[in-house]
Amino acid sequence: MQKTADTSRGSIAGISMDNQEKLLAESLQNVRQHAFAMKRVLDQQSVMEGLKHAANMLGELRTSLLSPKNYYELHVVVVEELHHLELYLTDEFEHGRGSHDLYEVVQYAGNIVPRLYLLITIGHVYIRANELPRREVLRDLVEMCRGVQHPLRGLFLRNYLLQCAKSLLPDTEEENQEENKTGTILDSLDFILLNFSEMNKLWVRMQYQGHTRDLNRREQERRELRILVGTNLVRLSELECVNVERYKTIVLPKIMEQVVSCRDAIAQEYLMECIIQVFPDEYHLNTLNEFLKGCRELSPTVNIRNILISLIDRLTSYSTRDQQNIPENIQLFDIFSEQITEVIKSRSTMPSEDIVALQSALLSLSLKCYRDQFEYGNKVLENTRQIFDNIALDTQVTTGTQAAKELVKMLKIPIDCYDILDVLKLNHYKLVLQLLSYRERHTVCMYIINSILDKETIIPTAEQVTQLFDLVSTLIIDQPDGSLEHSRQTITNEDFVEEQNLVARLCNTFKAINDPDQQYHIIKTCQDTFKNGGLERMRFTYPPMIMQAYALTFRYKDIREQDEKWEKKCQKLFQLSNQLINTLTKLETNDLSLRLYLQGALTASEIRSENAETIAYEFFSQAYTLYEEQAGDTRAQCASLTLLIGTLEKVSCFGEENHSTLRQSLTQAATRLVKRPDQVRTLLLCTHLFWSAQRVDESTQKSEQIRDSEKVIACLKKAAKLIAQVMDQTAQVQLYNELLNSYIYFFNQNHPDIDINVLNTLIEKLQSDISKLDSTSSTTHTSSNDGDEFIRSQIQKTFDYLRQQSQLEKFQGLQINN
Amino acid sequence: MLVLVLGDLHIPYRVSGLPQEFRKLLTPGRIQHILCTGNLCTKETVDYLKTLTADVHIVRGDFDDNPNFVDQKVVTVGQFRIGLCHGHQIVPWGDIESLSMLQRQMDVDILITGHTHKFEAFERDNKFFINPGSATGAFNALNSSTIPSFVLMDIQQGSLTLYVYQLVNEKFTVERLEYRKA
Repeated sequence: MQKTADTSRGSIAGISMDNQEKLLAESLQNVRQHAFAMKRVLDQQSVMEGLKHAANMLGELRTSLLSPKNYYELHVVVVEELHHLELYLTDEFEHGRGSHDLYEVVQYAGNIVPRLYLLITIGHVYIRANELPRREVLRDLVEMCRGVQHPLRGLFLRNYLLQCAKSLLPDTEEENQEENKTGTILDSLDFILLNFSEMNKLWVRMQYQGHTRDLNRREQERRELRILVGTNLVRLSELECVNVERYKTIVLPKIMEQVVSCRDAIAQEYLMECIIQVFPDEYHLNTLNEFLKGCRELSPTVNIRNILISLIDRLTSYSTRDQQNIPENIQLFDIFSEQITEVIKSRSTMPSEDIVALQSALLSLSLKCYRDQFEYGNKVLENTRQIFDNIALDTQVTTGTQAAKELVKMLKIPIDCYDILDVLKLNHYKLVLQLLSYRERHTVCMYIINSILDKETIIPTAEQVTQLFDLVSTLIIDQPDGSLEHSRQTITNEDFVEEQNLVARLCNTFKAINDPDQQYHIIKTCQDTFKNGGLERMRFTYPPMIMQAYALTFRYKDIREQDEKWEKKCQKLFQLSNQLINTLTKLETNDLSLRLYLQGALTASEIRSENAETIAYEFFSQAYTLYEEQAGDTRAQCASLTLLIGTLEKVSCFGEENHSTLRQSLTQAATRLVKRPDQVRTLLLCTHLFWSAQRVDESTQKSEQIRDSEKVIACLKKAAKLIAQVMDQTAQVQLYNELLNSYIYFFNQNHPDIDINVLNTLIEKLQSDISKLDSTSSTTHTSSNDGDEFIRSQIQKTFDYLRQQSQLEKFQGLQINN
Repeated sequence: MLVLVLGDLHIPYRVSGLPQEFRKLLTPGRIQHILCTGNLCTKETVDYLKTLTADVHIVRGDFDDNPNFVDQKVVTVGQFRIGLCHGHQIVPWGDIESLSMLQRQMDVDILITGHTHKFEAFERDNKFFINPGSATGAFNALNSSTIPSFVLMDIQQGSLTLYVYQLVNEKFTVERLEYRKA
């Protein structure tokens, strides 16, 4: 049926962009002119004239000068105008005026490109009007299109054919008897599959046309056109009569045959991806072996990794979506596992990052599709390790390489989809982790811990704690390959501090709920591990252990009715804590130890187990010793002494002897502080040690408040004496105010020796001191005026308060002027 | 004006982190000021608070090492002078009389302290006292069953509405309290 072969050839190489636009504009101009003429004669019912103009218009598509992008633009406009002709002809048939010989007539059009476009258009109309047998015409058209062998023109022509055929393709099992040889689904498959392979051939041929120096541009252009070829596959997937069986026996084998035989990497990569994306998941599940066999036959330059990962990811999300399960007869994991092994074997040059990426996809599949079958995930990890061991046994993957990055990604998968307790069941996980160098191991370990903390996972047994430590040991003990990092391991390095704080936070997720003995094992496990981490790490890892030990004593106390050994167990915990804190005292700053000792004293006092007093005294006296060693740092010493006083006021388990030793030591320590105001303030705090602080009465074994009114007075008087020695008047007045407030406190507490007269004396003194302050500050203009102002208002607040209280009976006789 | 009041987090020495329920609630952009009673213990926790709002006030707790933290701070919000102090420096700890003394010395309308790990809010002599408790429910030797809690203050000029968030047996509760300046 062909009249002339497609002879126009040319190259668009060397035609600049400017020229391209000019050419496109000219062509579009011509198309519009011809289209206008076509529409005008059609309006006058002149079909033959119309066809002539249409042919002229279509002649513009014969060009070889346009780039694929511009040819596409031209094609869109032409097809739109051609639609006009189609509508006209359809209309004619509907009104019974259709001429029957047009299909024959247009075959005499002079050029092949316009001729085929017209044949397709008219064929389309005739089939719809039931004028010609559908099956024959479709076959005829798809065969005739072979006449155009220029890749660009051929691809667009066939694309037009596919577009027109869309509504015509028979999608039934049986022939429709009433109509004119409609054909069946099998005819549709023949049609599309033929069109597909022809289009693919044209597309592949583009690669080999023109100069090699234009290769990159050509490949780019090919990628722009791939959707034209892919549309065939989309069409196939839209046919309702294509079921799993047909897909398996006809569709896929035909597509694969074309894909494999074209031996073109760009086409193979795209089409395999296209198959995965356009056909339903069930089809893939039932043709895994066929598809994967095809994969192995692809060109060696094809990136097989992406294709396989794409398929695995697709099936993984299918099985996890809406709880869909993979049918039992399909051994998804085994199939992929085998095929991946085959692929890796068959491609000896495959880079290790690609191997890891494939294993990652497989791992993700096994963990997500077979949540409860740990052996699958484990097997992938084992294989991965094996692959590296086969290359070079016990060698680490060089830091920063692609392979290392892929391994890190792989190791994050189980962490993301499982909680850590399940990851611990994957005993090959650690072996893969060990493939990595220090930096990547560090990244993975940090990721693990952050995930545990984010998910608030609880680690309930000592055994699991041991396994976890084993996994994240990179952060816990010095690493032989981390020598460069060792120099960083100091409190002044922010990264190290952040890392160790994370480990410390992790320790608080170790909780044996309802099993105190297990908790004890956990603490022991931690101690056994952390003691190998070096002092710089212990600063971070020991305090959580110590606080956990304290908290555990409370749990033992709670079950004292059920566990007769509770006191022994508490004692062990206190000993352990003491030992741990003792280690920490070797650090250059010892406030942390001091605070931990004091917490221990408080805990022992609250627990009141056997020997509580001895233990509390031990803790307290050690804290005191550390305090004395702080000499030199005035500010820290004052802060520590304040804490010692506050703690002793609350520790209630001491008998008189121990308590008196401690309270007197603290009172003396207060007077030995360097700065006067510090002395006064801590001394005022000490008054409470002689009043509300508690001791155990030896005869009754009950706690009682000390209420030593004489010693309280002694402290207050000593404070007053010290204030008198303060040189700075402003500071002095301020301290007097604080002293007055302490007196008011004990007055409210019904201290026997503090009556209203004592308060009056102090108020009088303070009032005269303020006026003195007024006179000095009015003569000297010092910068401390603001400070004076604040202190005056502070004192006013005290006086306001007293005025308020003077209404009460208790405060009768209070002398304070308004 | 929303003011977040919290403290005694004790991360990482006593707890692994702020409860997820609280983290979800505390989103950036809602809170104008943070008043923190201390014991944050690490820079990361300070940084976390700073993601919620730029205006963060922190005083030193007994387990804080940051030398820049002060013992006391006064912040003015609306018509309120608010005093902030961790509270371990006040002996006896948590004693109402001693707190009143500090309130007078600092000359504040609201005094916020922590240290006891126990939420408290009360009015005394027309001054308001708040202890937000421990936001993480951290262990405390004197109060071994700690409930995680924090407080949001909504300050409109001279009136204060307090929202108390607590996590009791992993259940989230909110309580509302009001205080008006005389």
